[in-house]
Amino acid sequence: MNFFGVGLGLATLLIIGLGFVWVIRGEYYFGYLWWPYVLGAGLVAIGVSLMVPWAWGSALLGAAGASLIWGATELKEQAVRGEIGWYPFNPKRKPQPPFIEIIRRWPAPHL
Amino acid sequence: MSLNWMGLLAAFATFLSIWLGHVGVRKLEAAAPALWVPASLAAAAGLTLEAGALFTHSLYLSGVFGIVGMTLLFDALEFYRQHRRVAHGHAPANPRNPRHARLLAEHPAATTINWLEREPTGHPVKLETLPAHPEQV
Repeated sequence: MNFFGVGLGLATLLIIGLGFVWVIRGEYYFGYLWWPYVLGAGLVAIGVSLMVPWAWGSALLGAAGASLIWGATELKEQAVRGEIGWYPFNPKRKPQPPFIEIIRRWPAPHL
Repeated sequence: MSLNWMGLLAAFATFLSIWLGHVGVRKLEAAAPALWVPASLAAAAGLTLEAGALFTHSLYLSGVFGIVGMTLLFDALEFYRQHRRVAHGHAPANPRNPRHARLLAEHPAATTINWLEREPTGHPVKLETLPAHPEQV
């Protein structure tokens, strides 16, 4: 029997579960406008996964990259959830991402 | 240097799974009169894919089946969690669905409004002061 897929499925479920945690924390401390950088990090992770010769390493990096891309699409909705009181709202000033004025003009993606 | 496509396949499988778990579950839950139907189908599909992952000799197929199958098993539970979100007003109810119509009648917070369909403002807002649809702003 081949346990690779079942193990990878469980690990991916954990990665997706962690995605919920970092999206909530990340939006709280940094704000949603960092989404292009999160999206870029996901694409880089998938790109690097192509060069990892080990099946497990490549697969986990690919799954983590996809999870980062999803997280980038979730940050805006999480910001709204905080503002309408479904999650704690952070009133402190958040660190601004580089090129924030350009990012503000882009529609934040969401699923 | 030869490329290892396992990561890219895993990424596609993961993104597809997340999409199914978010958009797919949301749409099916809103349309299904009885939750046990889509939940059972998702569980059966998940178990089938996990069995496929165990018995295939291909590492690629095993990986994709494993990821999609495991998340489908979780999606079977997610239908019930989505039902609770609708009851709490955290997801819009579909009044044409009798199960949602009951939620709208029995839970004061249940609504047909999707409160998340708006741009962030940068400050806290009271739900009751928001327009039902952002285009009314």
